[in-house]
Amino acid sequence: MSTTVTAPISPTTESALPATAKVPERIPGERPTAGIPFGRLLAVELRKMVDTRAGRWLLIGIGAIIAIALTIMFFNESGHHRFEEYLQATTMPMAILLPVVGILAVTAEWSQRTGLVTYTLEPRRSRVTWAKFLGAMLAGAAAMALSIALAAVVHQAAITIQGYGGDWSIDGDTLLGASLFVLLGIAQGLGFGMLLRNTPAAIVLYFVLPTAWAILGDMVSWLDGAASWLDLNRTMNALFLVDSMSGEQWAQLGTSVAAWVALPVAVGMWMLHRAEVK
Amino acid sequence: MIHVDRLTKRYGPFTAVDDISFDVKPGQVTGFLGPNGAGKSTAMRIMAGLTPATSGTATVLGRAYGHLPNPGRHVGVLLDASAQHAGRTGREVLTLSAIMMGVDRRRVDEMIELVGLTDKEAARRVRNYSLGMRQRLGIANALLGDPEVLILDEPANGLDPAGIRWMRDLLRGYANRGGTVLLSSHLLNEIERVADEIIVIGHGRIVAQGTKDELLSGAGTYVRSTDDQALASALALEDVSASPAATGGLHVDAEPMTVGQVAAAAGVVLVELRAGDSRGLEEMFLELTAATAREEVAA
Repeated sequence: MSTTVTAPISPTTESALPATAKVPERIPGERPTAGIPFGRLLAVELRKMVDTRAGRWLLIGIGAIIAIALTIMFFNESGHHRFEEYLQATTMPMAILLPVVGILAVTAEWSQRTGLVTYTLEPRRSRVTWAKFLGAMLAGAAAMALSIALAAVVHQAAITIQGYGGDWSIDGDTLLGASLFVLLGIAQGLGFGMLLRNTPAAIVLYFVLPTAWAILGDMVSWLDGAASWLDLNRTMNALFLVDSMSGEQWAQLGTSVAAWVALPVAVGMWMLHRAEVK
Repeated sequence: MIHVDRLTKRYGPFTAVDDISFDVKPGQVTGFLGPNGAGKSTAMRIMAGLTPATSGTATVLGRAYGHLPNPGRHVGVLLDASAQHAGRTGREVLTLSAIMMGVDRRRVDEMIELVGLTDKEAARRVRNYSLGMRQRLGIANALLGDPEVLILDEPANGLDPAGIRWMRDLLRGYANRGGTVLLSSHLLNEIERVADEIIVIGHGRIVAQGTKDELLSGAGTYVRSTDDQALASALALEDVSASPAATGGLHVDAEPMTVGQVAAAAGVVLVELRAGDSRGLEEMFLELTAATAREEVAA
């Protein structure tokens, strides 16, 4: 004898629209005649950096790498490193990864197509982009402050636990140089993002460019000369010894920043304003 | 409330929107009807300031979209429900819009409730949403700022029949309150059932435009008899033009009563006699769709 088993119809797990449509209530008061204040755009852009898993994990990842770097230093040579060295250990990985925050802030509107909503709510696209710019810079400044604090904590721990004499000496210029290093990197990421409006392309270009300079500079001697003026990684390294920077080094930094930060931002802003949002 | 004047958009040699002009009035639902690829979405993107026009203008509430202050509080736009960050929750999508527009966060909860998303669903990431859920989220987002004008591109896509009915009731209620509604669809019966005004677009051009009654009337009479040929000649004698229908019977350019009188006088037995339905609109639409389909096959 055979039995036929009829599978029960699985209940739908998805909610449905209500049976009757209700026209939403009016928002009391007049409709606004004033534009969106910049502060609100900034608040939204800051929020967007942390309200997706990708953004959140990127920031957590940067924090984790800083923590690992500091842990290694704490145990290496019994933590006998100057505060300045601790600071460098926290700043370097941050400086490499934070530009991705800037890239994502700009490119997500296009790669994830959220621009369709963002730019209908604020059609003055350059205001949105400046909010992203400032937001990413604020994130960079906050990260910098955090890395200084963490470096100080671990340095103090080395003094207390490892019995290290400690060396807190650091001058303002070095701090300024390191901060500039981090912020310029983010600005570069923003510029690349605005220029390419595509997440993978912008990230790849950002990470490949310094390597390309190094390889090409090794192979072609005249390119090596150009690199000292145009390789942002090389010119920015001088910022870690900012008080001994020569006039030529400043000129080299300025040239490379103009080429890889100012120009992409300017051209990117113009293109972003004209691009079709699809 | 939406004014489109000689709007044209070209992509190289391809003309997506070809010199279209129309007005969308408040208190009415205006249907923007056309086969896929007819230029509806491009025209709507231009209206929302996302795509620059090659020539011509589109204004909303008397201004170019880009000059509206805080446009979300004046115009609700849904162009593509899938265009959302996959990693954001539904509630977060609405919250971001609410902050930008400067509306109370309570409004977010109200809109979530309005489109029937549960709290659990609103807390889920958009990546896990079905097309229908995305569409509902998009509608909630468009209504969030209590706009006067709604611009919705294929809002019924992905909704089940009950959902489509819900949408119809909502838009009707919105228009009755004095709102301006423009919605697009590639389905004739969807538009037929909700729109007061219909704009038909094909190959970037407007091929018909008018009130639903205007477009649906003038369809004449459909008649079937035991001897259609005899009836056709009798009608011809009275200077009434008739053409054979593909399914048998005749389409006649006259009122049913006239046709009945002619048939009675000629002694032709009628099998069916009724006012022609939206044959004109439907056939025009089918021709457009068929032409588009042929092109797609050829391409």
